[in-house]
Amino acid sequence: MSYVGHVMTHLRKDLQLEWRSRDSVNGMLFFSLLVVVVFSLAFDPTASMSRQIAGGILWVALLFASITALNQAWTREQRNRVLDAQRMSPAPPSALFLGKALANLLFVAIVEAVLAPLFIVFYNLHALGQGWLFAVVMPLGTWALVCNGTFFAALGLRTRNRELLLPLILFPISIPALLGMMQATTAILTGEFDPGVWIKLLVAYNIAFTTVCLLLFETVLSAE
Amino acid sequence: MTPVTILLVQSAYVRGKIEIVQRSRILGPLGIVWLGITLGVIAYATKLALFVAPTEATMGNVQRIFYYHVPTSMLSLLFPYVNFAASLCYLYWRRRDPLKALTADAVAISSAEVTVVYSTICLATGMLWGRAAWGIWWTWDARLTSMLLLWLLYVSYLMLRKLSSTGQTHTLAAVLSVFAAIDVPIVYMSIQWWRTQHPAPVFGGGADSGIDPSMKPAFWMNVLGWAMWGIFIMILRYALERRRQESEQEAALQAIEASLEIAK
Amino acid sequence: MKLAWMFGSSLGAHHLLWAYLAVWLIQGGYAVWIGSQWMRSKKDSRAGVGFDSETEDS
Repeated sequence: MSYVGHVMTHLRKDLQLEWRSRDSVNGMLFFSLLVVVVFSLAFDPTASMSRQIAGGILWVALLFASITALNQAWTREQRNRVLDAQRMSPAPPSALFLGKALANLLFVAIVEAVLAPLFIVFYNLHALGQGWLFAVVMPLGTWALVCNGTFFAALGLRTRNRELLLPLILFPISIPALLGMMQATTAILTGEFDPGVWIKLLVAYNIAFTTVCLLLFETVLSAE
Repeated sequence: MTPVTILLVQSAYVRGKIEIVQRSRILGPLGIVWLGITLGVIAYATKLALFVAPTEATMGNVQRIFYYHVPTSMLSLLFPYVNFAASLCYLYWRRRDPLKALTADAVAISSAEVTVVYSTICLATGMLWGRAAWGIWWTWDARLTSMLLLWLLYVSYLMLRKLSSTGQTHTLAAVLSVFAAIDVPIVYMSIQWWRTQHPAPVFGGGADSGIDPSMKPAFWMNVLGWAMWGIFIMILRYALERRRQESEQEAALQAIEASLEIAK
Repeated sequence: MKLAWMFGSSLGAHHLLWAYLAVWLIQGGYAVWIGSQWMRSKKDSRAGVGFDSETEDS
């Protein structure tokens, strides 16, 4: 089977497993909604102020929501010693990683698709800048979170305090990407400055870290 | 565990132990001499900073914090590279030469801890200086934010070390170190762009403005003194780590031999 | 504070003192921590492992 074939197999497996229980997506949806409500109570923004802060709130909500899903991203593999079987199979380990990361990307994208209209409603938003750029920023930003998140979730597989460790190591590494996503979103919403440099940052970040994740996943899988 | 494996483990262990004993015969006295010189340099540099260097015109004496703050900041940017290099060496030697890999790992954790120590000092002295000189404890300008993020990255490295299960710790930490090293330039650039687009108050002077020639002796003496101290403390921490590795190996060997006893 | 006579007792002088103290405390504290860990590991590793006749049942 080709590399892409392996990735597709892993991707299909994760999607099927998630579809049966729909735990992750439901949990993420509800969590994001709660975060949005809490922030609204915290800041009670007017229409113009909401455009300044909605970008930040959106990505904070997605960040926390992804953490809840990523924490159990690998637990499926740990049950029934599936991970040992993965290690022994001749398929390239990076395909396992890529399939899982793509599956997580789809889950978070579903959450975003539901969250976006909610944001527009709660904050009475309409983009003053180039709205079509959202189709560029959202996938780039989501991939930055999901790629590193899936990798670090695998890092913490056999640590104690696994759920605590993931945000501790993910957040510092992700800060440039978070800055990029938030600034780009705010730029599009307020139309006050150019999101170009932030989009370029996200692209560079994604290229750099996707490469590193793919190269180093095998090391992490066989870390013992 | 076959007898051959036991023999291999024992001989590797003995090799490592002899290595440590031989080196400590030279390093011990050399270390003490180095420490003595370092303390002397630091004492002299402090005297220069507090008493000899001229008082700054606008800020007054509080500017003397600069002589501790800026050298420490400069040095705190060096140790992360040591950590990166050591982590790469560890990943390379992990399967090929486990003894060398352990050495690399000891260097990695030492340099990470020293990075955190130096960047903590940088942040603390910076805040004390900022409050007294410009009235604010903190500002989210390019330099301070980047330094804070560096601190966060290496604290997260130390947390991973602490929380991960033994056996995996070295490899996982080395991987995280690679991520952190790649992140550092990205962090730096992104924060610069952020502050170019949205300017904020800046803690003035320091590395950007030129240093008055009369301040140079105090400044460079402090750089030398704290660099020497950094090297000393890193090697001390390295020696501690090697010692710990040694007692871990001994414990493992005892466990193997105990299991052999039971098996007999 | 104690050494206020050196530079006056302004906020700047206090912060200068605290900054220098902070540096010595942090660096010194770290060195002392390493030393205490060293002492502790010395106790552990003194329990040596013999390779020859000590492990065999004679």
